[in-house]
Amino acid sequence: MGFTKINGKMVEAQVVPGQRLFSQRGAMLAYSGDVRFTPNITGGQGGVMSMIGRRVANEDTPLMTVEGQGRVMFGHGGHHVHVIDLFGDTLYVEADRLLAFEGTLRQSTMFMGSQGGVMGMVRGQVTGQGLFTTKLEGNGSVAVMAHGGVFELPIVPGQSVHVDPQAYVAHRGDVRNKLSTAIGWRDMIGRGSGEAFQLELSGQGTVYVQASEEKL
Amino acid sequence: MSYPPQPPYGSPHDQPTQPGFVVPPPPPNHGPQQGYPQQGGYPSQGGHPQQGGYPQQGGYPSQGGYQTPPPGQPQQYAQPPAPQPQQAYAQEQFGGPIAPLPTAQGGTGPVVHDVHSLPVNDNVNPYAFSVELNGSYFLQKGKMVAYYGDITFKGVGAGMIDRMLGQHFNSPMHAADWVVAEGRGKLLLADRAFDLNSYDLEDGNLTVRSGNLLAFDPTLRLKQSIIPGFLTLIGTGRFVAASNGPVHFVEPPLRVDPQALVGWADCPAPCHHYDHDYMHGLIGGIRRLTGIGGASGEEHQFEFIGAGQVLLQSSEKLMAERSVGQVGAEAGVPMGGVPSQPGSAGHGGGNPNLPGLGNLGELGRRFGL
Repeated sequence: MGFTKINGKMVEAQVVPGQRLFSQRGAMLAYSGDVRFTPNITGGQGGVMSMIGRRVANEDTPLMTVEGQGRVMFGHGGHHVHVIDLFGDTLYVEADRLLAFEGTLRQSTMFMGSQGGVMGMVRGQVTGQGLFTTKLEGNGSVAVMAHGGVFELPIVPGQSVHVDPQAYVAHRGDVRNKLSTAIGWRDMIGRGSGEAFQLELSGQGTVYVQASEEKL
Repeated sequence: MSYPPQPPYGSPHDQPTQPGFVVPPPPPNHGPQQGYPQQGGYPSQGGHPQQGGYPQQGGYPSQGGYQTPPPGQPQQYAQPPAPQPQQAYAQEQFGGPIAPLPTAQGGTGPVVHDVHSLPVNDNVNPYAFSVELNGSYFLQKGKMVAYYGDITFKGVGAGMIDRMLGQHFNSPMHAADWVVAEGRGKLLLADRAFDLNSYDLEDGNLTVRSGNLLAFDPTLRLKQSIIPGFLTLIGTGRFVAASNGPVHFVEPPLRVDPQALVGWADCPAPCHHYDHDYMHGLIGGIRRLTGIGGASGEEHQFEFIGAGQVLLQSSEKLMAERSVGQVGAEAGVPMGGVPSQPGSAGHGGGNPNLPGLGNLGELGRRFGL
C-alpha cells in the first residue's frame, strides 16, 4: 500500500477493495484495472460540517475518491511530487498541495491562529497559506506537490530551522513555528534583501521545503 | 541517450515498481552487442509474445556510457570514447539521493562543455540533447539551440532535399514544420526546458503526439497517423521527443488521461473510454454539460489494449500541438479535409477538469460542487 514514486513527478498507488484513496480532481494520469473515480462533493472526509468548515477556511480543494482494484498513476501540473509516510503523527499541509492521500488518514482543518495566536495568522498571510491549513493524521501515505524538488529538513530541539515562507511546503511532528521578521529601514525604502520574513520552526519534527519560491 | 546516470529528481528510478517497463542492469562493459540490451528483454507480463523493436527509453539503461548505434544503421556516428570525467561530473551534479540536510559542497557550478566533451547522441542534461551529426537529421523548426561544426539548415522542400523527402518523409502535409540539418558537427536540441528523451526503434513503430516530436534520424520514416494530431515513426533509428516531466512506459491494458498521453508503440487499438455512469441519464447530462454535481475530471480516458507500450508524461500539461497538416478530403479518411486544429480533437483545451462547458464548469469546480 502507499504510493510508489515512478519518477520525480509521478506516483503510483495500488488500489485494493475496501481501501479508499483521495486525490485531487483531475490528477489521474493513467490506471489499469477496475478503478472508479467519484467526485467527492464534501471535498474530503467528515460530514457536511467538515465540508462547511473547509469551505469557510478556503481549504476545499476539489477531491475525488478512488476506489476499486488496480493501480493508478497520479501527477499534476508538472509539479514535483513527494511522498510522505505518516505513522501516527500529524502532517500540516496546504490543501492545494495535496495530490493524493490514503483514506486511512484523518483529514481536518486547522486554524493558523491556534499555533501562535495573532502571529500565526500573520504567518498564514505571509506564506500564502491563509488563515487555515489542512491537517492529516493517522497511519498512511500522502503525496504532496511542490514546485521544484522537495527536501526534508529535520527539526531537533534546540536547533530551529528557518525557512523562506514561499518555499515552505509542509511540516510534521510536534513543531512550533513562528514568523521572524528582519525588517529594517532598508526594506522601508525598497532596498531590502528580499528576505524580510522567515519562518522559524522549532521543536521535534520535519519540515518539507521546495527548491523554488513559486507558489503552486 | 543517457540521462545522467541518476535521474535528477532525487529518487532513484526504482524499477521494480514499474511492472511495465523494466530497465536492464547497466551494461558492465560496452561491446558492440550492448547497444540493445533490451531486445526481447521486456518482462512477459501479459504473456504476449515479445518482439524486438519496442522502443526503449533512451538513457536509463546506459549507465556506463553511450550506446552504440543500432546494428542496422550504417556506422554513421563515430564513437569516440566517452569522456569519463564528464560522467563523473554529471553524476555529481544530478545524481545521488537528496541529503536530509543540504551541505555546503552541494553545487558544482555549471558544466562547461566543448565540442569533444558533448555527449554523442545523448542527453546533456534532462532538457538538452546533443546529436553527433554526420550527414543529415530532421528536426522540428526552432528546436536547435546551438551547434558546433559546419551545419546548414534547410527548409524541407528545397532542391535536393526533396529527394530525401520522398524517401523518408511520407507526410508531405507536415513537411513545412521541419528542417533538415546537414553537415558535420554537434547539434544541441532543446524545447522550452521540457524533458527530452531519445528512443531507439528497431524495425518498430511508435506513434507520438505531434507537438512532442523534436527530431529524428533520416533512417526513420515519418508518417501521419490516422489518429488526428499524432505522427507515426516507422523503421530503425533514433528519435528525440519532449515531454512534460519524465516519460513513463506502461503496458496495456491501461486507461490514460488524454492529457498525459505522449504516444504509444505497437498498440493496435487506441480508443476512447467514457465512464458511463456519469454520462447517462438526466443527472449525468447536467453534470456533463455544467460540471455541477461533481465531475471528477476523469470521466474520459484513452484506453489501450493489446501488446505494446504506452508512453505517459507525468503531467496533464500538454505541449502545444502542431498541426500535422490537412488530410485530403476523401471518403473513409478521418478528419479528411478538416484542418486539425489545437483543441479540435476534443481534448486539447487547457482545462483538464471538465468534459463539458468551460467557464460554468470551472465555476462549479471552484465551489467544489
